[in-house]
Amino acid sequence: MNDEMTIVYNVAHEAPLGPLIAVYFYMTGLSAGSFILSTLAYGFGIKRFKPLGKIGVVLATVLLVLAPINLIADLGQPWRFWHLFPYLNPTSPITYGSFLLTLYPVNCLIYAFFMFKGDDRMTKLFGLIGIPLAVSVHGYTGFIMALAKARALWNTALMPVLFLVSAMVSGIALMILVVTVVGFLSKQRRPDPTLIRDLGRILVGAILLDLFLVFSDVLVLLTSDSEAAEAATTILRGAFSQYFLGVEILSGSLVPLLLLTAPTALLARFATAFAPPILGATLVYVGAVPMLPLGLPVMAASFIPLLVQGIPQRHRPLPAAVAASVLVMAGILAMRYVVVIGGQYAPLS
Amino acid sequence: MSKLRYAMVIDVRRCIGCHACSVACKSENSVPPGVWRSWVKQGEKGRYPNASVSFLPTLCNNCENPICIRNCPTQATYQREDGIVMVDPHRCIGCKYCIASCPYDVRYLHPIKKIVQKCSWCYHRVDVGLEPACVNSCPTRAMTFGNLNDPNSEVAKLLARNAVAVLKPEKNTQPHLFYIGADEALIRATGASEEVRA
Repeated sequence: MNDEMTIVYNVAHEAPLGPLIAVYFYMTGLSAGSFILSTLAYGFGIKRFKPLGKIGVVLATVLLVLAPINLIADLGQPWRFWHLFPYLNPTSPITYGSFLLTLYPVNCLIYAFFMFKGDDRMTKLFGLIGIPLAVSVHGYTGFIMALAKARALWNTALMPVLFLVSAMVSGIALMILVVTVVGFLSKQRRPDPTLIRDLGRILVGAILLDLFLVFSDVLVLLTSDSEAAEAATTILRGAFSQYFLGVEILSGSLVPLLLLTAPTALLARFATAFAPPILGATLVYVGAVPMLPLGLPVMAASFIPLLVQGIPQRHRPLPAAVAASVLVMAGILAMRYVVVIGGQYAPLS
Repeated sequence: MSKLRYAMVIDVRRCIGCHACSVACKSENSVPPGVWRSWVKQGEKGRYPNASVSFLPTLCNNCENPICIRNCPTQATYQREDGIVMVDPHRCIGCKYCIASCPYDVRYLHPIKKIVQKCSWCYHRVDVGLEPACVNSCPTRAMTFGNLNDPNSEVAKLLARNAVAVLKPEKNTQPHLFYIGADEALIRATGASEEVRA
C-alpha cells in the first residue's frame, strides 16, 4: 500500500505453498546433512567420525522416505503424482526433484546395505556416488524457490547455496542430538566427548557461513528494487520478524554460537548469575505473549544455564552442545518457514 | 501475413468500473466463489476537489514468455499456436508451483476440482468466432481483443496509435495484455482492503 493511491477493491488469491512445503524442505535438508556427515568416515576415511556412519545413513534414508509424503499430501490431486514421470517438463525444477527423490533413497539403501554388511570398498563407492545426489536433492529445492521469479525473497542465485549451507547446519545439529542419545544408550552410558566437541566445531563453521549468506542476501534485498525492499522489510520489521530475527538469527544462530564457543567456566558463572532471572522472565513472557514459536526456543535457551550448573566440570561441553543443537534445529525450521511462507506474504496484484 | 497471435488491449480511460467483465467471466467459465479469473482493481487518490478514481481490469496476460509454462512439472500448462496459455484439467496435479511462479496472481486452485485454473481468453468462444465474455460484456468498449499480427485488426490499430503499457515488464514475461491510460500508481499499489481480503 502507498500513500498516493488507496486501493478500494482488489482480489488476492490464497498463497499457493503452505507449511507442508516448508517441512519438506526441512526434512530433505536434514537428510542431506546427515548423509554427508556419514560419508566423512566411510567416503573420505576420516576415522574419528566412524560412529557417525551408520547413524547418518539411517537418518538420511528415513528422512528422505518420509519427506516426499509432504509433497504428495500437498498436491490438489495426490493420485496424479505419477504424471510427474511420463509428462515431465525438463525446464521445471520440480522435474529434477522427481528423479532425485527416486534415485537418492535407492542409493542410500545400497550404501547402508554395504555399510552394515561391512564391505568398506563398496560402501565408499556408494558413499561417494551419494554425495552429489545428496547435494542435488537438497540443492534443487533451492532452485524451486529461486526459479519462481514472482517472489523477490526467492528469486536470488544465493537461494540454492543458502539452502545447502542451512541443510548442513541442521544436519550437524541433528547428528549431535542423535549421537548423544545413542551414546547414553550404549555400553559406555555416555556419548564420546571428543566426537561431540568435533561436531560442535564443524557446527560453528557452518553457522558462521550461514550467517554470512543470510547477511549478504538481506543486504542486497534492502538495496535492490521495491519488491525486494518490501520482502526484506517483511522479515526484518514486519509479520515474519519474530521468526527471522527471533528464532532463526538470535536463538537459532547467535545463542548456539555463544554456547559452542564460550569457555565452560564463563557459561557456568553466567548460569549462576543469570539463570533464575532469565527463566522467570521467560515464563512471564511466554505467559503474557501467546507466541509459541518464539517463546519455546527462548524458554529452551533459558534452561541451558541451569543444565550447565548441575553438570560436573568435565562433562560440561555436552549440555551446551545439546542445547545449541536444539536451538539450531528450531532456527532452521523457522528459516524454511520464513522463506516459504514469508516469501509469499507480499500481495502481487 | 504472419501467423495468428491474439492480444488484448484495455483502454482504461473508458473503464467505468462497472465490473460487468468480472460477472460475465464468472458466469461464462463457472468460476466458483472466492476465486477470480478476471477482476477490476480499483483505487482512489488525491483530495477533493483534486481527486480521482482509477481502474485496472486484471486478468491473465497470456504472456509470450510465460514462467508458468516453464515451471509446470507435467506440461499441464501449455501455449497454443495463437498465444493463449492453457491448463489441461486432466494433466494438472495441483502442485500450485505455477501459482507461486506467476507474477500477476491470476491463477488459483479450483476449490472443488483441486486443479489450477485461470483466464484462457475464453478460447472456446474465440474458436467459434466470438469475443471473450469480458470483452463482449463491456458497455463502454474499453476492452478489445484480436489478432496482433493483422495490421487491420482493432488491437493492432490501437497498439499502433496509442501509448501502451504492460504489467511488470521487468519480469521478462512479455505480457500480451496491453493497457492504454493505466495509472502507474494503481499498477504499483498492491494488496486489498481488509473486507476484500476476507
